[in-house]
This record gives sequence, structure tokens and C-alpha cells, in this order.
Amino acid sequence: MSPAAVEVMELTVRFGDFTAVDRLSFAVERGEIFGFLGANGAGKTTAIRTLCGLLRPTHGSARVAGLGYEDGGRALKGRVGYMSQRFTLYDDLTVDENMSFAAGLRKLSPEVLARRTEELFEFIGLTAPRNTLVRHLAGGIKQELALAAAILHDPEILFLDEPTSGVSPVARIRFWKLIRNLTEKGKTVIVTTHYMDEAEQCGRIALMRSGRLIALDSPAELKERTFPEPLLELDAQGRDPDDFLNTLRRNPGVIDVQPYGSRHHVTVRSSSEEAVLSSVPAGMSLRRIPPSLEDVFLRLVEGKDR
Amino acid sequence: MISFKFSRARSIALKEIRHILRDPFTVALALGLPFILVIFFGYAIDFDMKDIRLTCVDFDQSRASRQLTEIFSESGYFKIGFPERPDLFLQELDQEKTAGVLIVKPDFGKTLSSPGQTAKVQLLLDGADNSKTSAILSYLPGIQRAAAARLTGLKRQEPVKLRTRFLFNPELNSRWFVVPGLATVLIGLISILLTALTVAREWENGSMELLLSTPVRPLEIIVGKILPYVALGLGGVLFVYLAARIGFRVPFHGSHALFIAACLMFIMAGLSQGLLISVVTRQQQLAMQLSMISGLLPSLLLSGFIFPIESMPVFFHYFTAILPPRWFMVIARGIFLKGAGIGELIGPLAALLVMDIVLMTAATKRFKKDLEP
Repeated sequence: MSPAAVEVMELTVRFGDFTAVDRLSFAVERGEIFGFLGANGAGKTTAIRTLCGLLRPTHGSARVAGLGYEDGGRALKGRVGYMSQRFTLYDDLTVDENMSFAAGLRKLSPEVLARRTEELFEFIGLTAPRNTLVRHLAGGIKQELALAAAILHDPEILFLDEPTSGVSPVARIRFWKLIRNLTEKGKTVIVTTHYMDEAEQCGRIALMRSGRLIALDSPAELKERTFPEPLLELDAQGRDPDDFLNTLRRNPGVIDVQPYGSRHHVTVRSSSEEAVLSSVPAGMSLRRIPPSLEDVFLRLVEGKDR
Repeated sequence: MISFKFSRARSIALKEIRHILRDPFTVALALGLPFILVIFFGYAIDFDMKDIRLTCVDFDQSRASRQLTEIFSESGYFKIGFPERPDLFLQELDQEKTAGVLIVKPDFGKTLSSPGQTAKVQLLLDGADNSKTSAILSYLPGIQRAAAARLTGLKRQEPVKLRTRFLFNPELNSRWFVVPGLATVLIGLISILLTALTVAREWENGSMELLLSTPVRPLEIIVGKILPYVALGLGGVLFVYLAARIGFRVPFHGSHALFIAACLMFIMAGLSQGLLISVVTRQQQLAMQLSMISGLLPSLLLSGFIFPIESMPVFFHYFTAILPPRWFMVIARGIFLKGAGIGELIGPLAALLVMDIVLMTAATKRFKKDLEP
């Protein structure tokens, strides 16, 4: 048995002339939460769909749970669970009907279905009656149920494609708790997201741009590597910051000035940090902050377009 | 396929049945449509003309002229009325209060009783209504014979007499002809439209992808999605059959087994066509429109259901030959009315089989190509 849950070598997926995924290589360890982060069209969904066996690599190889695509990906599909961003559950079926349909597709016996639904409904804390039509459930509960349906057959690896798009912040927090619980039980979770707070919860993040992998590391390492120099945040507190910003831009010790909402993020050389911090005009605040993933994302993904 | 698992197809079929039962539109279509079609074509649209209104302007007012109008009424085809103002009889024709005006000249009775002379009666018909006029014309020779016999009291000698007997449908009852054909329209619509919609729906809402992320095979999806609609189609046929036999007393002379086999073949053609439409369109709206055009119209207009193919332009003789409904129409009517067996229907059956194979192959090939990346 291969030690890695997923092993990808030079994976390339093309649709006609369009290269959706370009020479992707990485490995995901068992029990890891592995996140794909990137703008729309960066190739996250294509990468995940390929790893689920829904698409074939044009070039390169992928081993998922030690399996390839030799048998049309059927063995692979039996070992993974998949939750798509577009569709979760059939609205016009009840909770139980959706579950037994998922079980039927996976050829689970009625006994296994009964045991697993019992376990999973407890796991997600489902309180709605099981004969409720899914259409009548709240978005967050629907999402949790879809997760339960995707892991009904107890897969080793779970692929989630933007699982929390369109659900409330509270529901998102609940959902991520479930994901962490799963990995604690030894499951591997591979997830795409464009929420930075969700990306922070991943063990490692693969940052994608135009089908290419541009960075791969833990959130902390990514921040460290992208921002080796100190990052300062300027809050003008209602005053006009333009004069000060121009002074900063002329300062050779300042590397970069980026608007950040109503504030500005300023990257400086370590040697100039003290001087810059003390040059702040009265009434404004300038302080050192830890870089967020959003800073990393802006610098790496968007920065390269400039 | 070697490892086709029926249990997976059954799960999909079960889910499909639940969709059907919870969707008022499908239920209404599957239950309501056969009912409406049977009422519509069986009762409302009657190609036989009965009680056609004729206005009689009797200038003679003799015993003979009264006898003549009686002969018209007694035939059952005509209902004779008399205008309130005889000088305005043309107005009645204009306002379509009557289908024709029968004018009996003042000397009708006299001419009739004088030997060697022919008594003439004028009939003005509304030529604007072609089908009604031709129906009236077809009834006239019979009336003429009856009138001649009764009014002169002697049978005219006819040197050549053509005796026509209608086989299989002796009374030329159009319901006998129309109702078995309804099976064609019904299957044509239910199988094509509903299959197209159900598969297009899975594409449209993205659930097809979820199905494909499991080890389920394309053939299992096809069989599972299609089976409930085969049952619905057969249910429609059963309804039409019962309506025909019990409601309209249409005879059934052929073999039930052959009829069911032919129905299944025709349903197969429809399902394959629906599947093909859904794979190509992937949208319910578009699939619905395409199904209507390629499913309902041919079975209604180009199958010989209402308009005989023989009277269509030559192009359509060939064009309709590639349409399954045309062949199934021949089969349905042949089995119902003529008791035709495999021997007589081998041509249409073979045509249907070929179309089944072509459509099935095209649909599953296209479907599998789309599903297997």
C-alpha cells in the first residue's frame, strides 16, 4: 500500500486547446486536510474532478488511494467520496430516500445503510425528521447531509469542491468542525475553497493560478516565505494619508505599499522597520501585523498579473 | 456489459419513480394526457358526419317533395330544416347555419309522375368546407337510389352495378380507425418527452456528475432511468387499449403478444430518441421543445394518424419512412382491425427494428462518450 493518499505526477488536463491543469505534482498524506486555493478558472475543480475519476489526465499520472484509472476509475471511485459545488442532494426526495439512493449506487446492504445513517446522523447532529423533503431543510443542514451522503460508504479520501458556498458563516464553522473530526479519524480530505478563513484551517494549501501550482505549503510557511520582511498596517484613522504614503513610496527601505480596504499594507526591509514605524504622523497608526493568507494570495496570485 | 449490476439500475429506477410521483407535471402528463387524447379524438373529433344540417326550400309542397325530405332525414346523415323566410335561404348558407340548401322546384311532384321525365332537385353546398362537402357528396348516391326506388315505386335497371364492401371496418367507423392510432401518439410523446426531460434534468442540475463519481456504469444509469418510463408507456397503451375495446367497442383481431412486442419496440425507439435529445441538449427547456417537434408532430401529422401518407407529396412518402410512428401506426391498426400477424407486418416490424438499433446505438454511444471521460 502506498503511504500517500494521493500522489500526482506532472498531471495535465486539456480540453481541446485549453489547458485547465498544467503539470501538477504533489502528494497528500493520509489524515491531511489539503486545500486548493485559487481564483475562479484556476483549475481547482478540474484537478479535483480528475482525482475523483470524473476526468482522465491528458498527460502525467495520478494515484488515488494507490489506484489509477486502468479500470475506468471504478476501483478508485469506490474508495473516494465526492461532494460537488453544483449539486448536493435531490430536493424532491426525503432525507432517507437520498441516503438509500446513495447507498444503492454504492451497493451497500440495507444493514450497512441503517448502521451508517445512524452513525452519520449522530455525527452531523441531524435533528430534522428523516422523512422531511430535502427542499425544506436549511442550506447548512443540507450541506451537512450531503457530506453524510458522500461518506456513507466510509471512503478513505474525501473530495469537497467548494462545499460551503452559499451557506451561513455559523454553518461554515460547524461544517469545518466535521471535516476536522473526519481527519482525526484518519480520513484524508481534499477541499477547494475561496474563503481565506477556511484555507487557514487546511494542513497545507496548494495555490493555483492558470492551471499551474504556484505555491504549496502550510498556511504559516506560506506567510513566512511570501513575507520574509515585516508587514506593517497603516490606519489613517480618518485623516488624509496621501502625503505620508508618498513619503513612504520614496523611502528606499519600503518595498511595497498596497491598499487594503480603507487601510494600507506596507512591506519594509527589516533594517528600516524601526525608522518607518517612528515616522508615522500624529493621529495615524502604523503597526506591525502578521501577514494573512489574503496578503499571500494577493501577492502570489494577483501580484503576478501586474 | 459484463459486470452490469441490476441492483444499481434498480436504485436509480426507484429514485426515478419517486421523482415522478412527486412531480405534478409528470403525473398529469402521464395520466391526464391519455385521457384527454381519448376524449378528444374518440368523442369530440368525429370524422364521420352525422346529422348534417340541410335547409330545404320546398316550392312544390307536394306529397312527393315531403317524401323526399323524409328520405334525407331517415338516412341519419342529414337533418332537414325549413327556413323562416324562404327568400332568404342563401343567408343561412352565408352564416353557416346550414351545410347546404336543398331546392325543390314547384313542378317536382308533377314531373315525377309523368313518365319518361327526370325530376330534378338542386342542392347548393358550401364549398368552403371541403371535408364536409366531400362527406355529403359521398352520401348522395345512396340517397338518390333510395329516393328513386321509393318515389317511383320501381327499381331502375342498372346495367353495371358496383358493390363496395368495406372489409375490417364495415361501417367505416372513424373511431375504429383513430383510437388504435392514439397508442402511437401517446407512446411517441410520453417516451420521447419524459426520457428527454429526466436525463436533461440530471445534466442541468449537476447531479449527473454525482452519479458518475460513484462506480455506477453508464448502462446502469440508462436502464435505471428508462425502465420507469417503459412502464409508463405501457400503462398508456393499456389505457388506450381498454378505452378502445370497452369505450368504443373497437374489435381486436390480432395477437396480443405481437401487439405488446411491437409496443415495446416502438417505446424503445422513443426512449432512445429522448435519450439522444437529452444528451445533445443537456437542458430541460431545449429538450422539451426538441421532443415536441421531433416526437409529437411526426406521430400526429406524419404517421398517417389523421392525414393518409398516400395523399402526401412524394417527398413525404420517403421522409416518413424514417419515422418510427409511421410504421407503428400501420402495425397498431393492422393488429387491431385486420388481425394481421407477423407475416403481414414483417415490413413495418423490420423497419421499426432497424430504427431501434440505429437510435439505440447512437444514443448509448453518445451517452457513453459523454460520461466516460
